[in-house]
Amino acid sequence: MFIKRLPKFTYHTPSTIDEAIELLVRYNGHAKVLAGGTDLLVAMKKRSVIPSHIVNLKTIPGLSGITVTGEGVTIGSLTTVAEIEKSPLIKENFKPLWDAAKVMASPQIRTLATIGGNLVSAVPSADLAPPLMVMAATAHIKGPSGERVCPVDHLFAGPSTTALKPSEILTHITIPLQNGRGIYLKLMRRAALDLAIVGVAVSLTVKEDNICQDAKIGLGAVAPTPIRAYKAEREIIGNMVTEEVAQKVADTASRECAPITDIRATEDYRRSMVRTLTKRAIMNLWEGNR
Amino acid sequence: MTNLVPLNITVNGIEYRLYIEPNITLVDLLREKLGLTGTKKSCNEGECGACTVLMEGRPVASCMVLAIDADNKKIITIEGLAEGEKLHPLQEAFIKYGGIQCGFCTPGMILSAKALLDENPDPTPYEVRRAISGNLCRCTGYQQIVDSVLKAADMIKGNQV
Amino acid sequence: MENERYQVVGKPVERTDGRVKATGKARYAADLVAPGMLYGKILRSPYAHAKILNIDTEKAKRLPGVMAVITGKDFPGIPFGTRPDTRDQLPMPITKVHHFGEGVAAVAAIDEEIAEEALDLISVEYEELPVVLTAEDALKPDAPLVNEFSKSNIAYTSDFVFGDPEAGFKEADYIREERFSSQRVAVGFIEPHACLAEVDASGRILLQGSKQSPYPTWRHMCRALDIPLSKMRLVTPFVGGAFSGKHDPFDVDFAAVKLAQITGRPVKIVLNYDEVLAAYRQRNAMDATLKMGVKRDGRITALKAECILEGGPIAGIGPFNIYFFGAWLNLPYKVPAIEYHGKLVYSNRAPCGTVRGQEIVLAQYAVDSLLAIIAEDLGIDQVEIRAINAVTSNWKTANGIVVDVSGLPECIERAAEIIGWKESRKSRPKGRGIGFSCASHPSGVRLGGHFGSSVLLKLQEDGKVIITHGGTEIGQGCNTIFCQMAAEILGIPFEDVIQGPSDSDTAILDSGMFSDRCTYWDGNATIAAANDLKRQLADIASKKLKANPDELLFKDSKIYVKDNPERAIAFIDAVRTAYYELGTPLYGRGYWAATDIDLLNWKTGRGNLAHGTDFIATAIEMEVDEETGVVRLLKGVSGDDAGQPIHPVMLEGQVNGGSAHMTGHALLEESLYDDKGRMLNYSWRDYKQPTALDTPEYIVEHIHTHDPYGPFGAKGAGEASSCSTLAAIANGIYDAVGVRIKDLPITPEKILAEIKKKKEGK
Repeated sequence: MFIKRLPKFTYHTPSTIDEAIELLVRYNGHAKVLAGGTDLLVAMKKRSVIPSHIVNLKTIPGLSGITVTGEGVTIGSLTTVAEIEKSPLIKENFKPLWDAAKVMASPQIRTLATIGGNLVSAVPSADLAPPLMVMAATAHIKGPSGERVCPVDHLFAGPSTTALKPSEILTHITIPLQNGRGIYLKLMRRAALDLAIVGVAVSLTVKEDNICQDAKIGLGAVAPTPIRAYKAEREIIGNMVTEEVAQKVADTASRECAPITDIRATEDYRRSMVRTLTKRAIMNLWEGNR
Repeated sequence: MTNLVPLNITVNGIEYRLYIEPNITLVDLLREKLGLTGTKKSCNEGECGACTVLMEGRPVASCMVLAIDADNKKIITIEGLAEGEKLHPLQEAFIKYGGIQCGFCTPGMILSAKALLDENPDPTPYEVRRAISGNLCRCTGYQQIVDSVLKAADMIKGNQV
Repeated sequence: MENERYQVVGKPVERTDGRVKATGKARYAADLVAPGMLYGKILRSPYAHAKILNIDTEKAKRLPGVMAVITGKDFPGIPFGTRPDTRDQLPMPITKVHHFGEGVAAVAAIDEEIAEEALDLISVEYEELPVVLTAEDALKPDAPLVNEFSKSNIAYTSDFVFGDPEAGFKEADYIREERFSSQRVAVGFIEPHACLAEVDASGRILLQGSKQSPYPTWRHMCRALDIPLSKMRLVTPFVGGAFSGKHDPFDVDFAAVKLAQITGRPVKIVLNYDEVLAAYRQRNAMDATLKMGVKRDGRITALKAECILEGGPIAGIGPFNIYFFGAWLNLPYKVPAIEYHGKLVYSNRAPCGTVRGQEIVLAQYAVDSLLAIIAEDLGIDQVEIRAINAVTSNWKTANGIVVDVSGLPECIERAAEIIGWKESRKSRPKGRGIGFSCASHPSGVRLGGHFGSSVLLKLQEDGKVIITHGGTEIGQGCNTIFCQMAAEILGIPFEDVIQGPSDSDTAILDSGMFSDRCTYWDGNATIAAANDLKRQLADIASKKLKANPDELLFKDSKIYVKDNPERAIAFIDAVRTAYYELGTPLYGRGYWAATDIDLLNWKTGRGNLAHGTDFIATAIEMEVDEETGVVRLLKGVSGDDAGQPIHPVMLEGQVNGGSAHMTGHALLEESLYDDKGRMLNYSWRDYKQPTALDTPEYIVEHIHTHDPYGPFGAKGAGEASSCSTLAAIANGIYDAVGVRIKDLPITPEKILAEIKKKKEGK
């Protein structure tokens, strides 16, 4: 019920990913990987998870950092939110992710929290998920049977569950070069130090004739997992971007999501904020384009 | 049951070689094992900023860090800011411009401010508010804390000239 | 001007606790250690209301490292309470639990981990009882009784009529009635409750705890532990904020003492903040209906109010709250006639004390909001209607409160000017608004015969003064201003007065740190103590200077003959004479109580209650997003009449702090419960106190007045800004988007719903 000191566990410091995977296999379900720790430690103090083994990934070299590649950018799963927030590269080229990084939690949590942790914790309000979804990011996963990739769109299976198997590790994220422009808007009760009531990421590629070539909309905190609003996207792709279209898209997105009422907000409010923020995001991108 | 693990940590310039239980957090290590009670503990879940310290120069909630995860890291706590009797400009400014009332948020607040000024010596009031947005204070209403940080920035710049 | 007369008072001296706090060396209760110290932990009830059928502690006691386990039965079963007629609480419950998170057992072990493990080994058999969560629940005829010491769910009532309300309403050109409500909020200090208890070989207890008002804590604890007052010593370390949330003793304090008694070892208990949010003091939920009559020009003719405060399972200081709500409807506006009916009811939610500004916050919110509504109805400018009704100097309220000096008219004028009220009436961006509100607050109240303050000054042979007082430095800066005052009277440098410990063995009589009383009451006691020293020194100096003691002045560390500064001796020489020639130690004793104030008649509500009413006018500029309902506060201005500022910088901090605190109450904070009375958001993740980005830039304009009874003309300060802020925000939202939310907190959802209703109405 109330927070306690951390439970006891055995601590492991693998020096390679394979070693880490081996440990996860060996302790089969009784081990947890430690990245930033900002979600895991709270869960352990509340005794909602009591792992007997902690496998610290931070002792493995090469899991952190932002690297430019020919196709886009590779972000190591242990890259912290603060590093993302401070990266001019991310700010210039992958803006929705930067938008999200700078409004997540607090400065002292952003120093610790990692992009991989934010995704693998898989809370519905995960700030980094909608931006990565709309930028067609891919999660790179390694497990006992080797490496595989999974679009971030398909990474989430439910609240706090992902497509990762217990012995798999998220190693890095790749984001392709973006043709269009994007934005992430977050609605919170407080102006800082808060979870999203609604998070909306939009990426738009608009040609000179004002026709939308491609659109992706990612929503946070309005479904059991972060989601794409595919139907809403279809309303805009191939159409001329106007305020009316933006409104129509926003209406569809608000119907498409599946929010709940909890202590933070009601279902109705969340739906209507999806509408408001989606329209704002589109208008913002469109006006920026002109 | 639990094996002790070796920890090599530098706090306020002093190197410690310890054997610790892996389930102790950095805030508890500082307060209970090293006697550095200037770092405060309140929510123990990363939501108040009272336990903020600098790890490798960046602000962290020390209740959210396993002490063992600070292995080979440099930590600065509030006790490490003054040089002997000479206070850090932030400490001087907080005293002079009303940044301190009950004092419980002060250590964390000053360290968040230090992290800001180390990176951005000339912040705007908004940037100051953003930098301390993870540190809850109930006494001041924040205005005098913001004033204190801005004055400290002036003092530091003055000293550098 | 005024300031020129003083050497130390009115100057922004370095606060006495500044350096120790800025360097992390200040020791708060959780930082204390004692040899052989054990760690205590408390087991808490998962139910809001349940019979305790059995508590089995045997398994826990057998866990290696556990030294003792206690339950409510280990205490004498003597109830205590704020008033003799409201002794309705026990150190720990015996027969039933009354709220979610109530402590039912406590453990002392050799470390915290073992203590926590032991809690899991205690098994408690409960029988759930139906819960009473709201005032409505509590007042139902067949409602279950919440408190076993009371035969009713009504914990206290306050009813009064002053003037002729009926005639007042008849005389009115316009009458409006409105209902206002306010939610449960937590207190929100950052330091969780903590204490260290030790028992010496003679059985005498030393308790060092984070307590706001040591005197009531000490008395209540000795009563409930059934020990004489001399068996307990209470020392207060640094306190990490209190705001009325640390007045009375808690299970934390009682359990630490009992466990120390049983084990013979020091016991420290430190709570985690989730425990504080779930199970400790909150502000009463309010439901109030106010009816106000005004003349065509906006002058108030009469007020009628009913108020119910839901306060949890104990009365606590609730009787004061329910009385204050009514009493403070008489201010800050001139109300010639008033009828008031107030009820405090028990419930199975967390126990209430109060929060910064007491329930005066809620009264001022309701009365000012109603005035704002009436101004809108009648088309009167918001600043003008406040100026018309503002209490002026030498005013006596209908219920008998005497206002000697009021700077309120000037507060209003300056706040309006600085925020740019007039210009904003001509044009302002869409969604922008300014909320205006006024409030007042007493500088300490006299509610009982033992309400008083005491100070002891020890003038040492090196010429330095050690000051000990019954007040508590909880961040408000009282230690600093008492040093200033003593230095001023004695004519010595501020640095020569040194703050001593807060210790019940030396100075204790002090009714506590609440109601803006500390500057005023303890300040006057400090002056009295300094004058006592001065008399002793003047006696010595007069013989050396061959002068009349009455003609001696103390200034610049000298004692000299008035009008003849050449005839002087050094202050230190007089001190040395006392110690080295006369063998006389120098002690100054001072005490003060507003004994010229009538003791309040609790039945009729009549009593002049307090000296030194302080005033404030607050204007807050804000922006409301009509699509999201999000309110962003842009700028706050307060014209603040705290009499003579003793320390202008700290005073500004008090004013800003009170206002920012209430921005949380107005917009963000609410303790939420499920239908079984379990709290849903006992974490700062979901109990949202304002951050630096939620609070506006804030300007404090000192309206300098001189109170005839206050120390150096000072009044109390700090709590008035809490009292003006709720209405300022509600009024500002109305100004910005034309909707009025009367049930706090003003959430984005409520704003949107009202905007929608308004649009549909058109």
